[in-house]
Amino acid sequence: MNRLKLGFGLCLISIFLGGCWDRLEIEDRAVVLGISIDEADEQDAEAESNISHKNDSFVPPKIDKMRITAQIAVPGRIPLGPEKGGGTDQIPVWVVQATGHTIDDAMMNLQQQISDQLFFGHLRVIVLSEAVAKKGIESISSYFRRNSEVRRLTWMMVSEGKAEHTMNVAPPLERVPALYLLATLDHAVQMGKFPNDFLGIYWITSSSKGRDPYLPYIRIRGKENIEIAGLAYFSGDKMVGVTSPLEIGFFMAIKGMNPGGYSAFVRVPGIERSIMFRTTHRKSSTQLTIQNGKPHFKVRLSLEGNLEEKSTETFSLTEPGILDQIEQYLSREAKKSYTSLIATTQRKGSDIFGFGEYVRAKAPAYWNRHIKTSEAWHEMYKEITVDIEPILKIRRVGMKSS
Amino acid sequence: MEHPRQVTAIGAAMVITSTIIGVGVLPLPRFASEAADTGGPLVTLAGTVPAFVGLWLITALGQRFPEKSIFLYSEDIIGKWPGRLGSALLILFFAALSALTAREFGEVVVTAVLKKTPLEVTVIVMLLLAAISSRNDVVTFSYLHQFYLPFILAPGLLIAVYSLKNAEPLYLLPIWGNEPKAFGEGMLTIASLFQVSFIMSLLIPSMSRPWKAMRAGLSGMAIAAGFYLLIVIATIAVFGPEETKKTLWPTLELARMTSLPANVLERLDAIFLIIWVTAVFTTLLSSYYLTIHAISNLLRLRDHKMFTFFLLPFVFMLSMCIPNVLDLYAIIRLLGKTGLILTVIYPLLLFTTAWIRKRREAS
Repeated sequence: MNRLKLGFGLCLISIFLGGCWDRLEIEDRAVVLGISIDEADEQDAEAESNISHKNDSFVPPKIDKMRITAQIAVPGRIPLGPEKGGGTDQIPVWVVQATGHTIDDAMMNLQQQISDQLFFGHLRVIVLSEAVAKKGIESISSYFRRNSEVRRLTWMMVSEGKAEHTMNVAPPLERVPALYLLATLDHAVQMGKFPNDFLGIYWITSSSKGRDPYLPYIRIRGKENIEIAGLAYFSGDKMVGVTSPLEIGFFMAIKGMNPGGYSAFVRVPGIERSIMFRTTHRKSSTQLTIQNGKPHFKVRLSLEGNLEEKSTETFSLTEPGILDQIEQYLSREAKKSYTSLIATTQRKGSDIFGFGEYVRAKAPAYWNRHIKTSEAWHEMYKEITVDIEPILKIRRVGMKSS
Repeated sequence: MEHPRQVTAIGAAMVITSTIIGVGVLPLPRFASEAADTGGPLVTLAGTVPAFVGLWLITALGQRFPEKSIFLYSEDIIGKWPGRLGSALLILFFAALSALTAREFGEVVVTAVLKKTPLEVTVIVMLLLAAISSRNDVVTFSYLHQFYLPFILAPGLLIAVYSLKNAEPLYLLPIWGNEPKAFGEGMLTIASLFQVSFIMSLLIPSMSRPWKAMRAGLSGMAIAAGFYLLIVIATIAVFGPEETKKTLWPTLELARMTSLPANVLERLDAIFLIIWVTAVFTTLLSSYYLTIHAISNLLRLRDHKMFTFFLLPFVFMLSMCIPNVLDLYAIIRLLGKTGLILTVIYPLLLFTTAWIRKRREAS
């Protein structure tokens, strides 16, 4: 009996100590921090090596080739903690490129060039070029969804022009470019400049039948700066348009997303100068009714905010009725611009607001009879009517009394 | 039986809870939303009904024969050979269930965590653990469950609560689902996740107060059902029914998307997988334990330990003959639903026969 126990003990020990199949030293990993995806141009396509396919067998799909640019962390050069002054000229990342028929094909080609095993567990940003996004990104999503290393908290974004340039910009605020890009978006969410829309949320919205996804739209400014230039909205998996930055604020207002972070000029009636109003808090409620056989939405918004700037001393804020006038003007302007944003997305067939989800959830019988699929909703979305009633209130005026 | 009767009512309740919560928690929201998209929570709730009925029957039977397990008293009720046939089928079923549990565990580990570790190794290690632990008597077995239960419940609740900040209430409407075309089937699939609660039959002969078994069993199952319901609600509210259908293990994805406040932990999947290993272990232990006890009861052996390792290669081979992960889930659904005949209908048959023939244990 004792011998038996000893035997089993030894067996167990050999299982646990005999070796670990998945051991991989950190220096032997090529940690990918950021990936950008562009369309391949002619010369790339020529230079592609046949790694996951041959010309006569394992024939690749008939879709346009893509070029990926990966930002790989160089072991030992990623700074931990505060930087020591001077002498650190080494670039902490290495930027490499590969071309392929699909994302996985391109990754294979990339792996063939790199000695260490690619590791996506720390992938933080995926940048798509506008051209790629307009062609549809279903195959790209599918690859990342299947890959168990990729985090759902990764950010995906669309860049103006070529996406590969975003992998090369090196802003001085952060040593690792990909992390700077990530910080830009994380801080934008904190400041209320952009809705929280990481990869996981993009996937959720793109799967929903009554809702279309959107992604941040970035643009390179100057040599090494990146700005959030708007919101790229999709119809299904294809990008169909971009909003202006202020319209991101309108979008967040209609959805009632907090905190509010956008400011807008307000003309005071009768005076040529304007004041600056900054939203701080938003609340929205959406009501659905079916009118004449079409869904009709009534969106009630109440926005609170502060007066931030007044470009003239010709009037005082303490004058009776002046704040009321400003608020009324604000509400009127807001209604106009919100309605026009919704009308634009309706024309493009991109329901980023998720009105369709209201129909699916609140009027399921109507949904099953008339809509049922996301394609049908795209058509129906063009015909819905939305009534917006924004009420804006100025709560504070800063440290100056008038 | 010579076992000391030391299992308390609370102990029994804890065994039931920790036995039920197991490997099924990962695909559960997918089963629910495939059945009735947004109606997933309702399907889950409905699925607990057959499960409760099954547990009620097995406990009521156990209370009629407080000295015996179902593998012994079935012979008293419906006769020697039919009873033995029933026991043999139950043995096959629970052996297969153990094999499927181990395989499903192995598949998750190979896909999501240890990609280069051979599947066989993960499965064998898990089965060995179950086999070694099932050499204990029923009292120690119940202590094992009681020890692990808090580790299973707490992190699951944590993930469900913290994930709610990404939740969208619209994803839970309409509550009966947009197209609940597979409602009944989904209900049975979910009910099948509860069927290892059959272990109650082995617990009753060791309980110090068998008349408390009913309350213990039902409350143990209520906790597990509440836990499952919470996981389904949280997952569907965060992902929406369509995304839930697209992911193989939605609960794991939920853990991957949830972070604790103030960046204490950016992803909860590491913790979740650790606790999930213990949850799988307790479930596997119960089904394996049930199998070997059934065999030794059937063969009238006094000691169940003989079969602990003898059974291992068979269960292992059974778990290895499934070709791939998609077939695995097809088999799990099929076997689970068929198993309900053994774990709900068969006890119902025994119970009505015992009731009509007024059979109970002379005590």
